[in-house]
Amino acid sequence: MSSSNKPEYVSVTELTKQLKYVVESNALLNNVWVRGEIYNLTYHSSGHIYFTLKDDGAVISAVYFKFANKNLKFRLEEGMSILALGSITVFEKRGSYQINIAAVQQDGAGELQQRIEELKKRLSAEEIFDSIHKKKLPFLPGRIGLVTSPTGAAVKDIIKVALRRYSNIEIIIAPAKVQGDGAAETIVRGIKELNRAEYKIDLIIAGRGGGSFEDLFAFNEETVVRAFFESEVPIISAVGHQIDHPLSDDAADVFAPTPSAAAEMAIPVKEDLVGEINYLYGRIETLIFNKTESYRSRIDNITGRKIFMNPFELTGYRDMILSDIENRLAMEMKEILSVKRRNFMIIPDITKSVRSLVMSKNHQYNLKIQALEKLSPLNVMKRGYSIVTDESGNLIKSVEDVDIDQCIGIKLTDGKVSANVISKIKE
Amino acid sequence: MKKSAEKKSFEDALKELEEIAYRLENGDLGLDESITEFEKGIKLTRFCHDKLEEAERKIEILQKGSDGEVKAKKVAVKDSTGEIEDNNDLQGSLL
Repeated sequence: MSSSNKPEYVSVTELTKQLKYVVESNALLNNVWVRGEIYNLTYHSSGHIYFTLKDDGAVISAVYFKFANKNLKFRLEEGMSILALGSITVFEKRGSYQINIAAVQQDGAGELQQRIEELKKRLSAEEIFDSIHKKKLPFLPGRIGLVTSPTGAAVKDIIKVALRRYSNIEIIIAPAKVQGDGAAETIVRGIKELNRAEYKIDLIIAGRGGGSFEDLFAFNEETVVRAFFESEVPIISAVGHQIDHPLSDDAADVFAPTPSAAAEMAIPVKEDLVGEINYLYGRIETLIFNKTESYRSRIDNITGRKIFMNPFELTGYRDMILSDIENRLAMEMKEILSVKRRNFMIIPDITKSVRSLVMSKNHQYNLKIQALEKLSPLNVMKRGYSIVTDESGNLIKSVEDVDIDQCIGIKLTDGKVSANVISKIKE
Repeated sequence: MKKSAEKKSFEDALKELEEIAYRLENGDLGLDESITEFEKGIKLTRFCHDKLEEAERKIEILQKGSDGEVKAKKVAVKDSTGEIEDNNDLQGSLL
């Protein structure tokens, strides 16, 4: 295009001024209530609050100046849905526009928030949130129950993490609606069902993935909060994202920032456990090996001594003395024996000598008998002598032994005679 | 005997194993005691390994039958995504 045909133009500044005028004088863009969720929230040190308001279709920068926000009754939060009263202003230097906020109301949630606060107070008074009611999670849950939507993000996340950590885990899902009408009842039903003994569940994870405040509201419902509290099986509340804290978190034994985190808290990594067992076993094996080795070396130490290595060296000398004595004894013994044997050999035939001894004794005996027979009174009596005794049998050898008229006995060879003494004459 | 083995948890067994290691390391145990402890350790190790294999990989979803009876139905899942492979015939709740 040639310079001679230069069209009419305005500067950027003039154009922006026009825009600013159009925008800022338009009633539709001034003092309007706008609904959206807060993102990129910054509480600046100057006291101004900056954030982005957002909904499904668009975003707009927002500034809430110190003078305007000083009466704000609550703290703005990331993701919070609000109604903001404000006016659009154009920021020439940056070519941008923003909403300059004069007042903020919580969008609907304000009312719900109020209800939650009241419920929280009531349940706190019942000590439902007390730490003394918190059950310890099992160290090794073999069977895990899930109460969540079977088609949601949470169930996938949990199963994925669970199988990665513990390949042979058992999972039982109690399907539940996690948002909208009737969600609370299905969650309560699921928790109660999984508490039945027949399922032998070690741990329950109940929850859902992220969503709006309203989406998560079922986990603030009294029946649901109570079901978490009443669960006999240890239960983890795993709702939404890190920033979400429904009352189920307070009533559960443990709460997790997200469903995946719940699975990580609940399920140990099997390989780690195997490693730990093997490490401990290896340790005790080494210890017992060292122990037995130390005993072995002590034994070696002892058996290594001379007495065990060469016991005969020590006993050898005594052995020599002993065998010397033995030899001497044996020789002496032999000598004694041979002398005795010799003596024995020279004894004549013993029966012969005994017999001759007996015969000679017999002969002597006969001679003595014959002599005795000669001396026997019977022999004397055979020759006509008799034996005279008094009445008591005493021998009468003298006339002095008898008196006249005394009765005396006379023994003959073939009998006895009794007689009276008539007279006695001493010769 | 079997009952007490059932009662014992993996955690208890692991703890006991740790204590045995500690006793063998720091305790002034004689050889006989040491060997007894070691034998206990072997048993506990086996128990722990068995315990880890006790569960059987299984994913089930509870479904309510026409008679109102709740039954567990086995489902297949994709390991990589954790997604349940269903034919859009799974109930969304037990109510």
